[in-house]
Amino acid sequence: MDKQLRHRILMVSDFYYPNFGGVENHIYYLSQCLLQLGHKVVVLTHSYANRSGVRYMTGSLKVYYMPWRPFVLQNTLPTIYLSLPIIRTILIRERITVVHGHQAFSTLCHEALMHARTMGYKVVFTDHSLYGFADVGSIHMNKVLQFSLADIDQAICVSHTSKENTVLRSGIPPEKVFVIPNAVDTAMFTPAHKRLDCDTIVIVVISRLVYRKGADLLVEVIPEVCNLFPNVRFIVGGDGPKRVRLEEMREKHSLQDRVDMLGAVPHAQVRSVLISGHIFLNSSLTEAFCIAILEAASCGLLTVSTKVGGVPEVLPDDMIVLAEPDPYDMVQAIKKAIHMLPFIDPHLMHNRMKSLYSWHDVAKRTEVVYDRARQCSKKDFLHCLSRYLRCGAWAGKIFFLVMLLNFLLLSLLQIWQPWENIEEVPDMELTQDQQEDIQLNS
Amino acid sequence: METTEADTSTYHPPWRKVAYGGMQPGYDDNYTDETFLEELVMNANVVKRDILKVMQDSVSISQYLCIVALVVIVWIHTLDSVIGEGSLLLLDAFLLGLGFLILLLTTSQLSFKVLSKYLLNIVFFTCGLFVLAPVYHTLTRSISSDSIVALTISLLILHLFLHDYSGYTIRPLGCAKNPNLASNISLNASIVASVLVASRLPSRLHVFAIVLFSLQVFLFSPLITFCIKKYSFKLHLCFSFLLISMTLSIIYFLHTMSFVIFSSLLVFISAVCPYMLIKIQVYKFEINGPWDEAKLCFDITD
Repeated sequence: MDKQLRHRILMVSDFYYPNFGGVENHIYYLSQCLLQLGHKVVVLTHSYANRSGVRYMTGSLKVYYMPWRPFVLQNTLPTIYLSLPIIRTILIRERITVVHGHQAFSTLCHEALMHARTMGYKVVFTDHSLYGFADVGSIHMNKVLQFSLADIDQAICVSHTSKENTVLRSGIPPEKVFVIPNAVDTAMFTPAHKRLDCDTIVIVVISRLVYRKGADLLVEVIPEVCNLFPNVRFIVGGDGPKRVRLEEMREKHSLQDRVDMLGAVPHAQVRSVLISGHIFLNSSLTEAFCIAILEAASCGLLTVSTKVGGVPEVLPDDMIVLAEPDPYDMVQAIKKAIHMLPFIDPHLMHNRMKSLYSWHDVAKRTEVVYDRARQCSKKDFLHCLSRYLRCGAWAGKIFFLVMLLNFLLLSLLQIWQPWENIEEVPDMELTQDQQEDIQLNS
Repeated sequence: METTEADTSTYHPPWRKVAYGGMQPGYDDNYTDETFLEELVMNANVVKRDILKVMQDSVSISQYLCIVALVVIVWIHTLDSVIGEGSLLLLDAFLLGLGFLILLLTTSQLSFKVLSKYLLNIVFFTCGLFVLAPVYHTLTRSISSDSIVALTISLLILHLFLHDYSGYTIRPLGCAKNPNLASNISLNASIVASVLVASRLPSRLHVFAIVLFSLQVFLFSPLITFCIKKYSFKLHLCFSFLLISMTLSIIYFLHTMSFVIFSSLLVFISAVCPYMLIKIQVYKFEINGPWDEAKLCFDITD
């Protein structure tokens, strides 16, 4: 690829491997596919336990584990300014052109975006979750998001519902927000070779057992379904504070032999749990996209899900049965799914998923966003500052001062450690066979 | 989900609000359809407030303010040795009797068993207080009176701020809800304030009488007013107006300046604040949509 057209991308988020989840997966797969498209990708996250410093992953994906301890919920302590020197050094060393932050509640992401904007880099942000507007936590988060997105070049959301949400929360023009969904590694989630018989129907649930994932709905739905269909079994994978309630329910209705509680399932074993079932049940109360549904569908399972957030956009209507988040409606949906089951071919479903979702497609679409970001006119810092003033009567002035101080600190750093003195990292050029090797593997 | 933006030269299928199947032909990823924000609902759950209703509800606050004002008056007069310990004890007995009378008249499910339980508790409570009175008497001897006054005032303000004006500090019969944390903190602040005041008094009997008086008021008056309000709202209003006029007249005879301040405070609470609340309703802006967290339609506490 032409050297001029290459992007040099820094992905920033508090959430990255060895932690597991939707955002972590997204960053990893997106980076891998972007590397294959010929761009340079560097990931920045905080340290995990003793994993600190620089690591290399598949395809020479460079990961900076910043030596900062997580503070709460895998987030670093929000210090606003203290991360400036290290992020500045990384940006200069790696000759970054685009900074891409992930996840609205990652403090590291917000700080990096702020520093990058002060230094005049192009910034892109991906929002992976939905927020309300009513409670104190959401109001605070929305204000932070407004600050981060005030001067953003382009933003990405994972579903159309998420786009509506982000536009409302941050007040940026909708043309700046792209919708690029997550994808699924269909090669990893393949259906079982032998088709399961339909004598006993197994319903699989894999989710953290917390309120937001609708564990309380499960407590109501499972006994009802077991009562209606004597040939249905449940497998519940996942752990969390609501596990006790589920176990109580199992005890109360004497369903020990029909409801398996597996506890937390490592991501590597998710497929083997999924392929032992016919139906995947998702009971989330809020969800921007839900990768779990993709994984289940890719394994050839029929999905029953609550109709919340972006879930209705995720799969075609004949691959998913949607229900309102209320126990009666969910039982009806499961009933419908059980009747649909004989007409479902897992391998056909898997092949359809292959055509519907691919990380390569996601990377190509993200590339377009980077191109657009590059085309955005370069503005001087003072002009950008005025945008912060428009963020609100009080908040605007605070944001303005925060950015101004950041700029002063940056100037100070420039005197103390001029960027000419920072050594640039030579690019690692993969040989032809190495590249082919990676392409074969993925 | 219909779109009118179909190019005539090359046919595009209409845009759909779906995430699967890659980029939709003819539409960029940042394409914003007409249906964008169609499911946005504004101000769906906003309650229309009626100024009269708000003013009526604010009477509870004025009423409790008057009760606290009366307590403070009694405190000041005891500290100035205007009220002796004998009359204080009489006042205690009178309040206790009155409280029980109101409780008897307003609560239907009050049985002899419950009543005797209440009485027994009060006897224990009074005995405990009597034994502890010497301790309270010398509790703050090493602290200057100014600090005690300042502390008492700040504790009372804290008490008034955190007090649960629509609820109770002791759970009445037939109510499932326990008092919340803020109201417990408020109650404790008031108890500490009364102990602080009591520690400045000349004799042990004074201390006992004043602490008993304060505790009776702070612990039981919310219960009594709650019972009255539950029994009949009209009675509650009458009782409140009686109490307010009584307090105002007492303050008027004691100190004119305080009277002006206190009455303007009452006007502010029961007329200006409700008016302002109604005024700012216009700015209420509530957004709901498909991104909201679903509410469960059943109780999950069982």
